[in-house]
Amino acid sequence: MIESQCRPQFNGLELLEDAQLNKRILSTGCERIDLLLQGGLRVGHVTELAGPSSSGKTQVCLKVASHVARKYSGTVMYFDSGNSFSPKRIVQFLTQESDPANTEVDEIVQRVMSSIVCYSIFDIFTLLDMLHQLMNNLKSEIGCNVRMLIIDSLSSLIAPVLGGGGAHGHALMVTAGFLLKELAHEHNLSIVVTNHMVAGEAGSSKPALGDSWKSIPHVRLLLHRYRATNDSCISILKHPYLNCITVPRALNL
Amino acid sequence: MEVSTLPISASHRGKLISSGYTSLSSLSSVSPSRLAQDLKISENEAVEILKVVSRRSGSEKIENGNHAIMNGAQTAWDMLHEEESSVCITTSCSDLDVILGGGIHCKEVTEIGGVPGIGKTQLGIQLAVNVQIPSGYGGLGGKAIYIDTEGSFMVERALQIAEACAQDMLEYDNLLRKDSQACRVIKQPKAFLENIFYFRVCTYTEQIAVINYLEKFISEQKDVKVVIVDSITFHFRQDFEDMALRTRLLGGMALKLMKLAKQFKLAVVLLNQVTTKYKEGSFQLTLALGDSWSHASTNRIILHWNGDERYAYLDKSPSLQSASAPYAVTGKGIRNAAPNCKRVKLM
Repeated sequence: MIESQCRPQFNGLELLEDAQLNKRILSTGCERIDLLLQGGLRVGHVTELAGPSSSGKTQVCLKVASHVARKYSGTVMYFDSGNSFSPKRIVQFLTQESDPANTEVDEIVQRVMSSIVCYSIFDIFTLLDMLHQLMNNLKSEIGCNVRMLIIDSLSSLIAPVLGGGGAHGHALMVTAGFLLKELAHEHNLSIVVTNHMVAGEAGSSKPALGDSWKSIPHVRLLLHRYRATNDSCISILKHPYLNCITVPRALNL
Repeated sequence: MEVSTLPISASHRGKLISSGYTSLSSLSSVSPSRLAQDLKISENEAVEILKVVSRRSGSEKIENGNHAIMNGAQTAWDMLHEEESSVCITTSCSDLDVILGGGIHCKEVTEIGGVPGIGKTQLGIQLAVNVQIPSGYGGLGGKAIYIDTEGSFMVERALQIAEACAQDMLEYDNLLRKDSQACRVIKQPKAFLENIFYFRVCTYTEQIAVINYLEKFISEQKDVKVVIVDSITFHFRQDFEDMALRTRLLGGMALKLMKLAKQFKLAVVLLNQVTTKYKEGSFQLTLALGDSWSHASTNRIILHWNGDERYAYLDKSPSLQSASAPYAVTGKGIRNAAPNCKRVKLM
């Protein structure tokens, strides 16, 4: 009975084959971010985008959604908790990328927009429900091929339940995190979540959601926008195999 | 422990786990009376718990493969068409409308912050009046809810602004639609006041209670198109010892307002105050309530002084660029700033 509950074993060679066949790299559509991440977002990874308000997190999410839906066939799921999903902005990104002389721009826009599915979620329990539903749908292979899942923003869904003496909020956060990792790995999705910043020691800022969250995403990126020059920069806080570096002028969106 | 991911109260959860009901399957085949007996709760409460469980297990059923994988999801293409046909609430200042992409958008939460005296309440009252402009004149023809936490709403001022709005509509009629008598809707200024629902809250618990109550209120009223909270900060700034509790309450409130905006397709406008923050070596003015609150709104507009003029700066928006526009607060309400006003500066 225990054997039937146990997860299947893989040896190193099988994992490598799986990585080469299934775990592709999806370009983000932003040249500099692709350069920073040596290709882009990896399928099977949960990537966290942290940053202060108006640093460009939603813009990166929208750009990635439009680029991935356009370049790779498959559905992009967008879970929006702040009513910030802007179809107008996606059309802007798509028309920017197309050649102006191309007369099929309208068809491309329609095709791509029809493969981006947006769902509004306003509490953590609905999020867990939706993730379970998605998992079941993918297991039974019904529905379109989902390529990417974007949750904007995960921290605003978790913040109302986190803290307050009980560990229940932490439990929900970690459950959600592990569910995301399982979805990403088992079903070959690339997952992007956004996180906001809170005050850290000595006046600096740190990403929200605390220490228990730190180990859950595979890749953690930090965005920062300089108000004076309207420049932005992106840095790697955590990555399985890349150094932590900063790239300036990353977002020429 | 699957039971810990159910949206039920902490005491019920604790009782379920200590009685041995840790997974959903263990709850799927138990009767309400048995559950009530085991947990020592009333049968009604047991029925409620089982309802939540069946909703969760029901959602795990396999959806038939269609384009939107799950219930309630919308494709971006459909959303684009919906957005194109939606109307914004004008601010009566055309410069401000331009930087906002037409005005205040429905289905979004807009935060407007500024120093005292800059015109936040004036803008709030203007929006409460402008939402009622009939669709024949390019407005929404809806009602407004005004939640006042500071006591700064003045009925006489609202009447003054309503009179100016009615006057503007009459002029528009005379100028552009001389011949069509069919769509002439003459709105009396007092009729504007009838459609503003006013709530006065005096503590933060009342504030949270009103926002929780709004869902029921709006589903009964059916025509509300804007909810204005003036100001969202007031009761959360004084005497709040537990900052972590404040963050949680604000987070929960933000999500509820987002849900209201999306569910009833209305605009939510939150007026905020400013505070100073020590950043990058100097004290700067930022909006109150901290870093985590700054993520609670879809759009943010900061009102500030530039010399003698009032300016509005669009700080955060998912689809519009940051831009600044001047505006003025006149006897008639919010209007365009007077161009090139030469003021005599006395030394």
